[in-house]
Amino acid sequence: MLQDWRFWFLAPMVLALGIVVLFPSGYLVWMSVTHWIVTDPSVYFDGVQNFTTLFKSASFAQAVQVTALYLVLSTILMLALAFGLALALSGPGSPGFIRAIVVMPLVIPPVVAGFTWRFLMNGEMGFLGAFVLPNVGITTNMLANPTGALISIVIADVWSRTPFMFLIFLAALQAIPRDHYEAIRLDGATALQEFWLVTLPMMRSAVVIALLFRVIDALNTFELIYVMTKGGPGRSTQTLSLLGWKTAFQGFDFGGAAALGVVMLVVTTICASIVYRRFLRMPS
Amino acid sequence: MSHSGPAGQNPFARLGRLAFLGATLVFVLLPIAWLALGSLKTRNEALALPPKLIFTPDFSAYHKIVAQGFLGAFGNSLTIALSNVVLTLLLGTPAAYALTRIRGKVQDNLSFWVLSIRMAPLFAVILPLYVLFKSIGLLDTRFAVSLAHLTITLPLAVWMLMTYFRSVPEDLDQAAMLDGATHLQILLLVIVPIARPMLASVAIVVFILSWNEFLLAFILTSRGSQTVPVAVASLAGTMSFDWPLIAAVSVCSMIPALLFVGFAQRHIVSGLASGAVK
Repeated sequence: MLQDWRFWFLAPMVLALGIVVLFPSGYLVWMSVTHWIVTDPSVYFDGVQNFTTLFKSASFAQAVQVTALYLVLSTILMLALAFGLALALSGPGSPGFIRAIVVMPLVIPPVVAGFTWRFLMNGEMGFLGAFVLPNVGITTNMLANPTGALISIVIADVWSRTPFMFLIFLAALQAIPRDHYEAIRLDGATALQEFWLVTLPMMRSAVVIALLFRVIDALNTFELIYVMTKGGPGRSTQTLSLLGWKTAFQGFDFGGAAALGVVMLVVTTICASIVYRRFLRMPS
Repeated sequence: MSHSGPAGQNPFARLGRLAFLGATLVFVLLPIAWLALGSLKTRNEALALPPKLIFTPDFSAYHKIVAQGFLGAFGNSLTIALSNVVLTLLLGTPAAYALTRIRGKVQDNLSFWVLSIRMAPLFAVILPLYVLFKSIGLLDTRFAVSLAHLTITLPLAVWMLMTYFRSVPEDLDQAAMLDGATHLQILLLVIVPIARPMLASVAIVVFILSWNEFLLAFILTSRGSQTVPVAVASLAGTMSFDWPLIAAVSVCSMIPALLFVGFAQRHIVSGLASGAVK
């Protein structure tokens, strides 16, 4: 093996990922079975205690609920918007600058996106929250209200992450061979039939991939929520990653936070293996 | 339908399409315009409702970036992102090349490993990295952040480059071997020159990801090596709500990404989607 050049080409990467990912995730598992509270000097092996505490805690149940709600709402909106945009902008006659504008939010730091939306939605001085919305009869202070805060986060997230889904759909749409359409058109199909019989079936794997990436992305969302609401008001926008951060760096319970990290790691690894086994495996 | 002229010939469909695109453009551009305008207003103007659309631009917020020492954050972000690009390409290029020249189980397992790292929740590595860096005294250093960013950028770069190297015919390797070249020479003198445009795109995507990253930089730094996103978030948390200043810092933080996006747009998607779309 040591004579094989490929070993030496791969070793530095494996070593680097070993240091920043493999070792930390192993360490995470160890932390998750440890009683480790920063303010408490005694650190000891605690079995599955952290997991039992986590699964029994009300804040975990609520975080799962909030995460699920946020995930479902934002994903539905994103899917609709991204699909619509891809259809509207895939034709040969659509100007490139519109595509460029639509994609812009993708490269804007999510912190900036979150903060700008927070300012826009602000109930006292925001353009939307204090001017546009009251003028159309919505007087709730969006960010101070549990439902309003979640909706605001979903809107900001849709703004920030739709371009990614749009680009996936656009690439998939443009990869559909022309003759599929020509064949069905010769049979006298309407535009709607073309959509149902050709476009949708051909887009199926792109949609599945986009959805799986979306699930992982949503589990990771942190800064957008952190700058907009910090999980509040109350715990109404506290997702799993926010809960993890609070447990570790405000509650100083490293063991408990690690247990949550392990749970999230397991969920995303399952998602990743589905994506890989079904869609991304390299031909060998 | 996508190739027969969008939404067919129906005038209602065409009108609907225009309305939809118009509404989306307003939605996309409103926050960006709001930031840009806000950064050029005085504090009172920025908070005035209904908004003042005609005003004399005021650049004092941009002066404040320098005066209040935010240039340091930009310097940190630049150093971290650039060193991350160098590290990522140095480690990722040979690995990606080797992965496309291996068959069977090893290739399959390593590829999956790389991909699953790309998808792993950051939160899972942050806590251990924090403890690790703290114990070896690397907390609040730019080196720690740029090393930590490898968790995001290295798997992505390897994946993007793998997709590309697969399209480089192995005959090229063989021809160079017959001429007596070593594998390192093949990589440096044959493969890298061919792949230069792709390497540039990977570098840009990696730079943007590292530049924009928040969570790792937030947890691993306190004051000295704060990056721009962390500075924005901490400004946002202060009591004196200086919107023009935050807007100005935000506008500056978007410059590198917006400079590059036109150029790398196509590769950003294939990269971020890890070869999901070709």
